[in-house]
Amino acid sequence: MTTLLDVEGVVRTFGGVRAVDGASFDVERHSITALIGPNGAGKSTLFGTIAGSLKPDAGRIVFDGRRIDRRPAHRVARAGVVRTYQSARVLTRMTVLENLMLASFGHPGERLSGVAFRPRASRAHERDVLLRAHELLALVGLETHERDYAGTLSGGQRKLLDLARVLMLRPSLVLLDEPMAGVSPTLRVQLLEHIVGMRRDRGITFLIVEHDLDFVMQASDRVVVMNEGRVLVTGTPGEVRRNEQVVDAYLGKAH
Amino acid sequence: MSVLTSGGFWAFVCVVAGIYTILALGIQLQFGFTGLLNFGQVAFMAIGAYTMAILVVKEGWSMWLAAPLGIVAAGVGGLVLGLPTLRLRADYFAIVTIAFSEIIRYVATNEDALTGGSQGTIALGGIGTAAQYNGQWSSFQHRVQHALGLSSSDTTMLVIVWAVALVLLTLTWLALRTPWGRVPRAIRDDEDAAASLGKNVFAYKLQALTLGAVLAGVAGLFYAWQFSFFSPGDFEPLLTFFAWMILLLGGVGRVWAVPVGALVFGLIFAGTRFLNFAPFSWFASDERAYLRLMIIGLIILLLVVLRPQGLLGNKREMVLE
Repeated sequence: MTTLLDVEGVVRTFGGVRAVDGASFDVERHSITALIGPNGAGKSTLFGTIAGSLKPDAGRIVFDGRRIDRRPAHRVARAGVVRTYQSARVLTRMTVLENLMLASFGHPGERLSGVAFRPRASRAHERDVLLRAHELLALVGLETHERDYAGTLSGGQRKLLDLARVLMLRPSLVLLDEPMAGVSPTLRVQLLEHIVGMRRDRGITFLIVEHDLDFVMQASDRVVVMNEGRVLVTGTPGEVRRNEQVVDAYLGKAH
Repeated sequence: MSVLTSGGFWAFVCVVAGIYTILALGIQLQFGFTGLLNFGQVAFMAIGAYTMAILVVKEGWSMWLAAPLGIVAAGVGGLVLGLPTLRLRADYFAIVTIAFSEIIRYVATNEDALTGGSQGTIALGGIGTAAQYNGQWSSFQHRVQHALGLSSSDTTMLVIVWAVALVLLTLTWLALRTPWGRVPRAIRDDEDAAASLGKNVFAYKLQALTLGAVLAGVAGLFYAWQFSFFSPGDFEPLLTFFAWMILLLGGVGRVWAVPVGALVFGLIFAGTRFLNFAPFSWFASDERAYLRLMIIGLIILLLVVLRPQGLLGNKREMVLE
């Protein structure tokens, strides 16, 4: 297996706090890698630096052979690294269909110059996007909600819409921020199936921050454990479960 | 009360409503569709009006060249304001915009040599001259009046202003229905999510701010032509807030709510001029002037409370989270 994402010595401070303090690990292509650790370990901050919404103070992030740590969030997304947020950030005052149709790169019609001078190319792209949006709506079972405001969807439906929107972008690496938080048992099974299916059918690599250790053990190939801004251990779920340092990091905080 | 029945008065009210429509359409684009809190819209109006007047009076330009340049200058003003400030979060950006509009007004007041200072455009040509910038406009207006067979210059202005306003409203409405128009709305709902979808949030905000400034520039030109004289005092922040009231009255996030809001606002504003019967007549006229402003505030407050989504707004949209 080859490396898709390489995080090297990333540091990110907020004032005097070193939220991420020299974290290094890599994510193999086509893997489902889980990023776990106690609260305050720096997982979410690290997520933000990979996705480009936070700039690292030191270190490098290399995706598919190119450095992405100096790019703004929208250019990281265009490179193929797409993130979700803990609470599915759907655009509430837009319809479900519009939420999906927004998710495409290089749409000529999204530029005023394209609207004015490339109407044909714009329409063609729009047709493709619409077709794809309908496919993905069907995949996640939201086709009957196409015309509803996304703000009227339930929490679970929003998670599915979020996932479909990610797929619209044909990402190679998807960063999921606590996908199982506040999710019903039924949806949990559904989401797990979607994630596994997305890897199998579309070759997508996943990096998942998750507190739900059952899910982590069940779904991931590799686990990266963070504590106090650094990577403590990486390994298979079985290896990590047996590691004493990990047990200490979790229980040490709890006691 | 005879003025109430005079057509000229109502034509004037509607001309001003048309100018406000164009001004508020800019804020609708910036706030209603992109989420930018611009409290400095009047600055772009001032830039448009002053650029045109200065080029005509001081440089002897044709008004037909000076006017487009005034619009361009307003747009450039939007770029200049937006480039360093649009990365700020919403509330900080709002503070900067109102500061910007006050800076423009103070510069116009104090740079006498350039703008005529606090005396306004009449002093543009220097002391002892009465400068005029709208000769070409007046003759154009007369030609239109004759061509259309209209009875007065007021009605002619009414037709021109609203024709331009309708064209701009239609263009904005069409632009917002394209794929381009989806992106600002996404940014308004959640700019981080929009960035995660690969949208260059800054670029779209800059476009919305600049296009809104261009619209304010057009409004500035009509303001200048309608009143044939203006001074920095005409561009106080109050004007920006009038445009905001129009937005709230009509409905946020709806293009066609802007003219409706502007006409209703115009009616409230003009209608309250005639509160000279009891119990209002118990007050002295200068007191009545303040009373009128209070009543305007009260009416608008009531409308916003009773219909928070505005006259044409969508209530369902307001409660979505």
